[in-house]
Amino acid sequence: MTDLLHLDQVSRRYGGLNALHPIDLHIPQGRRHGIIGPNGAGKSTLLHLIAGTIRPSSGRILLHGTDITSHTPDRRARRGIGRTWQHPAVFPRLTVADNIALALPSRSCFTAPFGTDPAPAQTESVLARFGLADLAGLRAGALSYGQQRLLELALATAGRPRLLLLDEPSAGLGPDDIRQLADTLGQLPTDVTIICVDHDLDLIWQLCDTVTVLDHGRHLTTGTPAQVRAHNGARAAYLQPTTTPADRSPEADRPESAPGSRTGGVSVAGLTAGYHGHPVVHDLDLDIPAGGIHALLGRNGAGKSTTLAALAGHLPPAAGTAVTIGGKPVPLGRPACAAAAGIGYVPQGRRLFGPLTVAEHLTAATAARQTTHGHPWRTDEVLDLFPTLHDRLATPAGRLSGGEQQMLALARALLAHPRLLLLDEPTEGLAPAIVAQLAGTIHRLAGAGVSVLLAEHRIPFAVQAADQCSVLAHGTIAMTATPAELATAGQRQQLGHLLGIHHTLGSLA
Amino acid sequence: MTDLITAPARRAVVAATAQRRARPIALVGAVVAAAGLPAVVDRYTITLAGAALVLAGLAMSTQLLVGTAGLPAFGQPAYFGAGAYTAALAAQAGITNGPAQLAAAAGAGAVAAVLTAPVVLRTRGTAFLMVTFAVQSLTATAASRWRTVTGGDDGLHTPPITVPAAGALTSPAHVYWYTLAAFLCLCAAVAVLLRSPLGLRLAGCAGQPPRMSALGHPVNTLLGAGYTAAGAVAGASGALLVAVHQYVSPADIGFETAAVTLLAAALGAGTMTGAIAGAVAVVACRDWIGAPTAGHGHALLGLLFLTVAYTRPVTAHARQLFARRSRP
Amino acid sequence: MGTVGMWVVTGVDGVAFGMLLFTAAIGLTLIFGVMGVLNLAHGVFYLAGAYLAYLIADGSLLLLAGAFAAAVVLGATAGAGLAVALAPVRGHLDQALVTLGLAFLAADVFTTVFGAGPQLAEPPEVLAGHVMLGGYGYPVYRLVFIAVAGLLAVVLHLVVRHTTAGILLRATVADPAMSAAMGVRPGRVQTAAMAVGGSLAVVAGVLGAPVLGPAPGVDATVLVLALIIVVLGGAGSVPGTAAGALLVGQVQTTGTLLASAAAPFVLFAALLVVLVVRGRRQPQAAGSPA
Repeated sequence: MTDLLHLDQVSRRYGGLNALHPIDLHIPQGRRHGIIGPNGAGKSTLLHLIAGTIRPSSGRILLHGTDITSHTPDRRARRGIGRTWQHPAVFPRLTVADNIALALPSRSCFTAPFGTDPAPAQTESVLARFGLADLAGLRAGALSYGQQRLLELALATAGRPRLLLLDEPSAGLGPDDIRQLADTLGQLPTDVTIICVDHDLDLIWQLCDTVTVLDHGRHLTTGTPAQVRAHNGARAAYLQPTTTPADRSPEADRPESAPGSRTGGVSVAGLTAGYHGHPVVHDLDLDIPAGGIHALLGRNGAGKSTTLAALAGHLPPAAGTAVTIGGKPVPLGRPACAAAAGIGYVPQGRRLFGPLTVAEHLTAATAARQTTHGHPWRTDEVLDLFPTLHDRLATPAGRLSGGEQQMLALARALLAHPRLLLLDEPTEGLAPAIVAQLAGTIHRLAGAGVSVLLAEHRIPFAVQAADQCSVLAHGTIAMTATPAELATAGQRQQLGHLLGIHHTLGSLA
Repeated sequence: MTDLITAPARRAVVAATAQRRARPIALVGAVVAAAGLPAVVDRYTITLAGAALVLAGLAMSTQLLVGTAGLPAFGQPAYFGAGAYTAALAAQAGITNGPAQLAAAAGAGAVAAVLTAPVVLRTRGTAFLMVTFAVQSLTATAASRWRTVTGGDDGLHTPPITVPAAGALTSPAHVYWYTLAAFLCLCAAVAVLLRSPLGLRLAGCAGQPPRMSALGHPVNTLLGAGYTAAGAVAGASGALLVAVHQYVSPADIGFETAAVTLLAAALGAGTMTGAIAGAVAVVACRDWIGAPTAGHGHALLGLLFLTVAYTRPVTAHARQLFARRSRP
Repeated sequence: MGTVGMWVVTGVDGVAFGMLLFTAAIGLTLIFGVMGVLNLAHGVFYLAGAYLAYLIADGSLLLLAGAFAAAVVLGATAGAGLAVALAPVRGHLDQALVTLGLAFLAADVFTTVFGAGPQLAEPPEVLAGHVMLGGYGYPVYRLVFIAVAGLLAVVLHLVVRHTTAGILLRATVADPAMSAAMGVRPGRVQTAAMAVGGSLAVVAGVLGAPVLGPAPGVDATVLVLALIIVVLGGAGSVPGTAAGALLVGQVQTTGTLLASAAAPFVLFAALLVVLVVRGRRQPQAAGSPA
């Protein structure tokens, strides 16, 4: 029997970054295939390559033996590939019924212009199948988040695809919703092939009969859930620290701090923030002493990035939120004011100024500085901290490697003399050696009196880098513990439950 | 006047049954009032009303792109011009039959749109606005330079149109009634288009292009079809321009026409009836209320532009509130 | 060789017109690059400059310098005012409406004050002569204009490339949100861009008045040509804008001489080529649509 989907040595590069090394995958019809791996492993890239929203740098993609590598996304969809997005991609201004009508198998645009609905009977049956019948007349934008996710799934399956791509279907859903999602997916016809990317390993174990593990854009292993759970490399990707705990001696790493820089801790009280009026983070409290390193852990969609973006002023926080640094209130909702109050931000994906050189980044950061409170980093100090940047001063940021980009993003943030540094997924896309180096760098920054708040997917890195870890679940802090406490079996189990990976963690214990 | 809001947006307000019942009555009332206009106003105002209908046709064409497909189109006067010059040349060649001119002009507008769509649809957002502006301006320049065909800046004068069984239409009232009838046909065509699967798909392209492709819809082809339809509507409106004024010149398809068309569409806040009302308001403001201000109609228009821009968020908010309240 | 001389003169004229358009378009591309705003009132800035030259300059170099200084002040003030007017407005449609509305108001004021006919702005007497070029007399002023505008282009390029302000400007064009996260006040950068862009357009009007004089409708002409240049040259690029301006200048002069009616189609073809080539180079961004 021929495979439904064959990835033939498919790879993807972004500038200097290898998002996906050549991978070879055969997926037969009816397979429920899970793809797991830490953030930056290349999972989303893989889905985009199959859906056609990005083109591979090399290799071929075959669907039922037909080469579809050069096909546009809509052509692939007409050949039977359906997909969902991480955030529900529905048509907010159209009604639920019209959303479905758009998803039904293509009829000519120019027939039956007089009917009110293109295919009312079909639309109704899809709505009934997903329990959306009562909402048919509502605008999709008015639905709740969970309902939008359901509608998204209805859209993706209404066209009866042969291959269904699911990108983080559990993101932002509560435990009950996830159970319902698993049921709904389980009820799909058995000849529908599913490729599912998700951080919730429970869902993956329950749904999938084959699982592929990616790490740093490399294919680690593919096998049954049992085989994958027993695979050492796979466990290491999620669990093993990149350096042994013995390497961690933060106090030794931290130079004597200037007197006074230890006063000026960060306090966050009642932080509520979200997108388009849907709060993602509720009433969150955090205290970080000067020079403290606090890690936020949690599943995708738990609210880590939202917390950081709100503190950096990129999201308008709801009323009642109060942030102070060293007792002084920080104005919220304006990035420039947050920067002036001493908040430095290294967002996910770094967001460097692509065409500007390394030297120009440093000049711009120095010139834009507003604050006088933090540790007065000078350009030469920062370059000493990141020696690789020294040789790259004239290189445009877009041509740096992933590690160099992360260093430059840190350097840019430091030159603003921050008192609180926000790091969103700093290890994303970095090689293990660089990750180890990064932990040391963060300790040195903290030693200079900078408070650090980092959002991190990799538990080992968080444990290694931070002196306090909080786990976010559904927008609130579910537990807080020191790395040492996390090492105890009880805490570990709770952590595993919160992160949806307790099977994996359990098998390690 | 019939409500030509995109079928989907309209269906969202399901609970407004009373409103729906009132709509046919309002429609019939508006048509009767429009048809009875020549009985109560002078010749100048009748011609103005005809001009308002022409601009309303052009505004519908723009609204098809701005309100339905989400493309900020500034260049519809180009296709309007293609239609107007086609109708005028046909008239000079002896084809004075109104409906024939209308069909030829719609065809010319559609062909011009098909030819330019591959360029303009490579862009979105502000860049789309820029490129459609360029298309409009270059068309106006070409019309003024290509003297042998277009008569240059002097324009083309045409004989009055004829309709089967009635002969040449010479009185302003007759021309107005012809224009109104043709305009209502245009409205009906646009209403059918918006209620067709293509109308729904254009609205989908406006909301979520990547989702549309993932559902198997060729987004650029769909937008191309919408752009062509809008070109045909603009072209047909061009034929009406020639019918009303018996004259066309590059000034008719210039910057000012483009600007006031966009204004009319913006006044309509995404709906077709709104765009039509907006076009009437623009003509009233510039030529009717503006007439006693001794040539300061443009200043009035400028104020109208600013008022619309600054109050649109407020009106959008009000509409949202209304939509929320009328939910089942 | 009369015909050769005619081509030479037309070619030089194309350069002069191109540099005139460059001076006007560079402000438009700056405002578009920094704010993402399409300033449809940009032609009005040029026209204001041209009327300023008509009012102030009377043939002496000193008064031309005075007009130049007045243009800088007027342009910066009007640009900053425009930034304030645009601050509460979101979305390209509403921004277009605001700038269009201001353009209509300004055009009405100009027509009221200066009348509906074209006005003549004389170049300063020292530069009013002609030099022989390919057997034809060519206005000295236009040659000087080419030199001045060329100098302006080089200076602008160096400022954008090598000064701190230029680096901050490019950072803001690349990613406004991250630029703000470094402490750059987006409002200040935008007001500055509007002020500088406005000044450049009014200055273009003062210097360009003897070439393209003040008359109703000139604002729309300058606007649309500047707009085509911005599309051709890419937002925020000084060399790109210069290249686009020189191309449009040649099409508008040499192209018009060759085939008057075909010139618009040549510009359209140029747009097509640029958009197709650029579309290939930058494949559609991938990612979630949300």
